[in-house]
Amino acid sequence: MQVDVDLEARTEVPRWMAYGTPVFTVLAALSVSAVALAALDVDPIAAYEIMFVQTLTTEFGLTETIAKGVPLIFTGLAVYLPLKAQLWNIGAEGQLFIGAVAGTWIGLNVSLPIFALLPLMFVGAGVAGALWVAIPAWLRAKWGINEIITTLLFTFVAADLKNYVVRGPMQAPGANFPQTAQLPAAGQLPVIPGIGFPSGIVIAVVFVALTYLLVNHTRLGYEITFIGANDRAAEQAGMSTYRIYLFVLMVGGAFAGFAGISEISGVQTRLRAFFAPGYGFTAIPIALLGRNGAFRVLLAALFFAVIFVGGSSLQTLLSVPAAIVDIIQALIILFLITAEFFKRYRVSLSLERDPGAEPRGKRPEGEI
Amino acid sequence: MPGAGFFAGLANATVNASTVLILAGLGELISERAGVLNLGVEGMMLVGALTGFITTVITGNYWLGLGVAILAGGAMSLIHAFLCISLNSDQAVSGIMLTLLGTGLTTFFGNSYSGNSVSGFPERTLPIVGDLLVEIPILGPALFQSTVTDYAALLLVPVVWLFLYRTNIGLELISVGEDPETADTMGVDVFKMRYLAVIIGGALAGAAGAHLSLAFNQIWSASMTAGRGWIAVALVIFARWRPERILLGAYLFGLFNALQLYSQALDFSLGAGTPLAGVLNPVIDFVMNPTIMSTYPYLATLLVLVITVIRAENRELAQPSALVQSYSRETD
Repeated sequence: MQVDVDLEARTEVPRWMAYGTPVFTVLAALSVSAVALAALDVDPIAAYEIMFVQTLTTEFGLTETIAKGVPLIFTGLAVYLPLKAQLWNIGAEGQLFIGAVAGTWIGLNVSLPIFALLPLMFVGAGVAGALWVAIPAWLRAKWGINEIITTLLFTFVAADLKNYVVRGPMQAPGANFPQTAQLPAAGQLPVIPGIGFPSGIVIAVVFVALTYLLVNHTRLGYEITFIGANDRAAEQAGMSTYRIYLFVLMVGGAFAGFAGISEISGVQTRLRAFFAPGYGFTAIPIALLGRNGAFRVLLAALFFAVIFVGGSSLQTLLSVPAAIVDIIQALIILFLITAEFFKRYRVSLSLERDPGAEPRGKRPEGEI
Repeated sequence: MPGAGFFAGLANATVNASTVLILAGLGELISERAGVLNLGVEGMMLVGALTGFITTVITGNYWLGLGVAILAGGAMSLIHAFLCISLNSDQAVSGIMLTLLGTGLTTFFGNSYSGNSVSGFPERTLPIVGDLLVEIPILGPALFQSTVTDYAALLLVPVVWLFLYRTNIGLELISVGEDPETADTMGVDVFKMRYLAVIIGGALAGAAGAHLSLAFNQIWSASMTAGRGWIAVALVIFARWRPERILLGAYLFGLFNALQLYSQALDFSLGAGTPLAGVLNPVIDFVMNPTIMSTYPYLATLLVLVITVIRAENRELAQPSALVQSYSRETD
């Protein structure tokens, strides 16, 4: 007698699974991370209370969460939109750097009133981010060169370019630090009067709504989703994968550029060599958690913002290394992709040997 | 013009920087030849570096440290293997998860060891002929006054070549990366082969990490791999999936790395009287800037990737045809 694992491809994902997966994933990741915390003699309950309850119930925690959430929403969108066409923009971090460099340069070198300078900085950052991903996008669209590898390679080049400009052409005059001068007041995103939240959140939410409309309510969005579901059928239906691949990656690059300048203009006020927030990589679990809609990307981004803020409180209050945040992130991805499997396949175990029971299944859609 | 001492130093720094890349690159190459891209090299290296370091601190035995690092790297890669091979998960996402996990775990648990040093693998000359070889000008001390891990990395290049092209397991492994359906029909266990390849890859990444913390630096600090895992991924593409080209690429990338340390000594600026000096000197300064130089390995990789694909329209790229494709048996 032998245990047979029988896999059956699901035609439809059960409703409870679609909604339960993100919740289950997060809980599972937090439970396993609790073991890591306990291993350092930290009480996990106390730690999670600091991480979540304190972050969400104090004014400081909420403001910080919103501030961290802004770039995470943008990078989340930067990965989400290409993912709709089954492309992985792994290089959002690099596009973020280039956006930050371009936007900061405009802020430091163009003298305009705030209502003109800030939009110009965002446009500059967006264009720079889009151009930064243009070569990988073209290589994918025209030659089929894997965008995962090229966007990643471009990220490392971007990181070095950023390090170069803050030590060279854009270094603050007279200072020894590898950083630019501070942005003028007209180049800094103000806080929302009355509530004190960073105003970047308004821009971010507007772009979430625009992305939602684009994907769900336009012909272009329909083509993107169609190509993501089956690129060959889409080509046969007369759609241009070339055009769509360029579009989704470059708009994604622009979003990542927005993430860069929103962080510099709203939080850091100057570009430093050590600026390497990892938001571009956190965007991957964000886009995975929110892959079913732009507003879910928003929620996922805010959730990660809470973990980031909570992680630094943990470091200050309990001397827990902030790396716990990386562990939680990794575990969320781990459980998410495990859950994806159970969403795709119905697994049944049988103890009797059935000669006809070949492992069954179909090729997953995530083929690259 | 810099003297012989300069070139000896440069050669030594190049060889030192390349060992990590050879070890991790060969591991990644084996994994990719079986069709599994593993972007978790950086994470597996870090886990190898830390576990090897802690083991050596506790037991005082760096050989044991190396062994533990190899096991730890293999164990990490097992997660990736399970997700990608058994659960058909997206290889890129799983690999990035592995890097995040490795970075997170080692920073978290390595915190109390941060900055500690250890006495690891000493630099030795080879027995019998070693004393003669070291006398070779410039290259002698660089190649033949090294740690055991340096020698092992060099030895591994022909070993991996023989394994892949001259053994049955190696050929089966390659066939699984090229055409899993046919390999399956021919009786090759696709799943077993891919598991094997990914685990070898992880073990070598672990060894690369141990080389960093026990031979190269003999110290632990968080994120000490400093992007070398990513360079190893790029190196495999640069080498166009051939083990012998890994050696060449590792030395080239190692040289870029070493040049950064010595860029102060290299002054190619034109004299004030030379025509076009005003225009060319800023360009030369830019190109020779150490930070700009560190982009060269990535740019070279991109160039190789693009040229081969465009010239040969994918046919001569030698990229394993089934790379990043998960495999499951179709029902008939």
